[in-house]
Amino acid sequence: MSAFLRKHAWVIGLAVLLAVLLGITKAIQPGFGASGLESLARAALPFAFATAGMAVVVIVGGIDLSVASMMAVCAVTAAVLMERMAGVPALMIVLGVGLAMGLINGALIVLTRVPDIVVTLAMLFVWEGVALLILESPGGNTADWLERATRGFVGIDLLPKPFVIMAICIALVWVPIRRSKLGLSIYAVGSDEMAAFRSGVPVGWTKVAAYGICGLFCAMGGLSLAALTGIGEPVPGPYLMASVAAVVLGGVVLGGGKGGLLGPIIAVFILRIIRTILTLMAVDPNVTTIVEGVIMVGVVMLGTALTLRGRRS
Amino acid sequence: MKKVLTGLAALAVSVSFAPAAFADAHGGYTIGVSNTVQGNGWREEMICAMRAQALVEGDVTGLIVAHRNTDSAGQLEDINNLIEAGVDAIVLNPSNPDALNSALEAAMAAGIVVVAVDAGVTAEGAYILSNNQEEYAYLGARWLFEQLGGEGDVVYMRGIAGVSADTDRDNGFRRALAEFPGIEVVHEVFTGWQQDQGKQQMFDFLATGIPFDGVWTSGIDNVIVDAFVESGAPLVPIVGADNAGFVGQLSSVEGLQGAAVTNPGSVGGAGIALAVDILNGEAPDSNVVLVDPVLWENTTEEGRATLAAAQNPNLDPEWPVSVSIPGWTDYTMEQIIACEGPGEG
Repeated sequence: MSAFLRKHAWVIGLAVLLAVLLGITKAIQPGFGASGLESLARAALPFAFATAGMAVVVIVGGIDLSVASMMAVCAVTAAVLMERMAGVPALMIVLGVGLAMGLINGALIVLTRVPDIVVTLAMLFVWEGVALLILESPGGNTADWLERATRGFVGIDLLPKPFVIMAICIALVWVPIRRSKLGLSIYAVGSDEMAAFRSGVPVGWTKVAAYGICGLFCAMGGLSLAALTGIGEPVPGPYLMASVAAVVLGGVVLGGGKGGLLGPIIAVFILRIIRTILTLMAVDPNVTTIVEGVIMVGVVMLGTALTLRGRRS
Repeated sequence: MKKVLTGLAALAVSVSFAPAAFADAHGGYTIGVSNTVQGNGWREEMICAMRAQALVEGDVTGLIVAHRNTDSAGQLEDINNLIEAGVDAIVLNPSNPDALNSALEAAMAAGIVVVAVDAGVTAEGAYILSNNQEEYAYLGARWLFEQLGGEGDVVYMRGIAGVSADTDRDNGFRRALAEFPGIEVVHEVFTGWQQDQGKQQMFDFLATGIPFDGVWTSGIDNVIVDAFVESGAPLVPIVGADNAGFVGQLSSVEGLQGAAVTNPGSVGGAGIALAVDILNGEAPDSNVVLVDPVLWENTTEEGRATLAAAQNPNLDPEWPVSVSIPGWTDYTMEQIIACEGPGEG
């Protein structure tokens, strides 16, 4: 039991923090209930997918600065396709487009040996341009069932649909991979590339696959954007920085090899609920971002300090 | 464990403080504001006008401002948070006419008054208050064509293709053009509402040597005057917007004849006033309310006096100088510059 606690200390800590923040929200606004949870889950949806994608490439030891741009490409592709064809094939095409973009990012990094931060920075602009080529100004349409899927509850009034969708989509992709050889390889390459190579892990392929998974999650993020707004917007939203923030807060080590996806997802909810609390308290919007940043640094610093102390004792 | 307990204690303290900070937001109306462009002079003036108007409205006791750079999904999040905060009205500058409907409909279902300023939304039942862009273009173009004696060649500098404000302005410009058959458009460009791009386009056209008699430009104005001055070309009448820089030039640049048409960011303040009217049961007959622009020119003594009065050295140079809208806003120049709302600061 204590071994389990120690192993998952960070995630448990985040979950406790989230519970406390939910309690604070309830204290500030006694009316905060099911509908509040639903809008929180809806707001978290695109951030969660961006964060999941970012977490996978960070675990493999890289970083992908093009997540927001890839989401924009997928959102406009979905909005343009769904105006012309049935929803399900369009959805499949969008997932394929996301996967392809991620694989291209990964292949460029592995083949050219240019640092990932440079390649994906360049691809940030490339994908941004592609999104504008597909749709010059916001428009298009999304399938009704996709829009409905992000609203309301499943069964009882406590489980918002967007939350269920988020959990299922991320688990469907990540759990099988995590338990397969590929998952092990991703962690191995992230913790020590040379050691992984000498142990016979195909380093190049593993990296390409990790970026591909990231692209797939970005496609889901883009689809969720289209579902939330009912249109496609070609200009990327604020998902790059937010995803890096959630990954760090979620206990994934920048540099690779350590962490999972659950922590970063909880971190997404923490960052969203902080914004809700600041809105409820009518905090000056120019102060809001400062507070968000300070809380993030504070939590990471406190967590690191606790971890170090725990290791010493 | 001790650390964790200390942390929990700190959080508990913040919990006990938070409701106290929130409690005084009841009694009158609480209004929520949502805007998705931060750091743009026009938008900042809009936000400050909202705060100043909320301050002078006696019925408003609280203002919650969600003001950041984000996309439509982010604005949806902000609007949902405002609904959770239990506001009585939401005044927003929409990022897109169609993308926000789910949240706006939820707001209206909860009995919240929704007023969109500056641009429209398609959600049924929402009020829209914006500057009359067609009239904006018509007013300036008509003045320019009259100034030219109904005959001559003009350069027509537009904004961004496909944006509703540009389309509306084009309709107004064409309406004026139809009234003056002697006027010819010799050059039509899109500045993209970018200062540097517009200036370069004017340089390029001046370099061609094609003669023209006047310029109508859609809000990119002071750099057009700069282009004339810097290239040494003889000045022609120029019509622009009421941005502080251009208004200053109308008084200071020797030999410049021109007019500024108002496109007030203070339409945000008018949005707050409209929301309060609706909450008090005085809803307008139509869901769409247009604010008509005013033209200030520097060719008459009276016009020059108006221009001089509009200028204020304390005003941010990026702001439109029309800081208030007669008949809608009630705050003073000092109040909008102070930019403080009720229950804030």
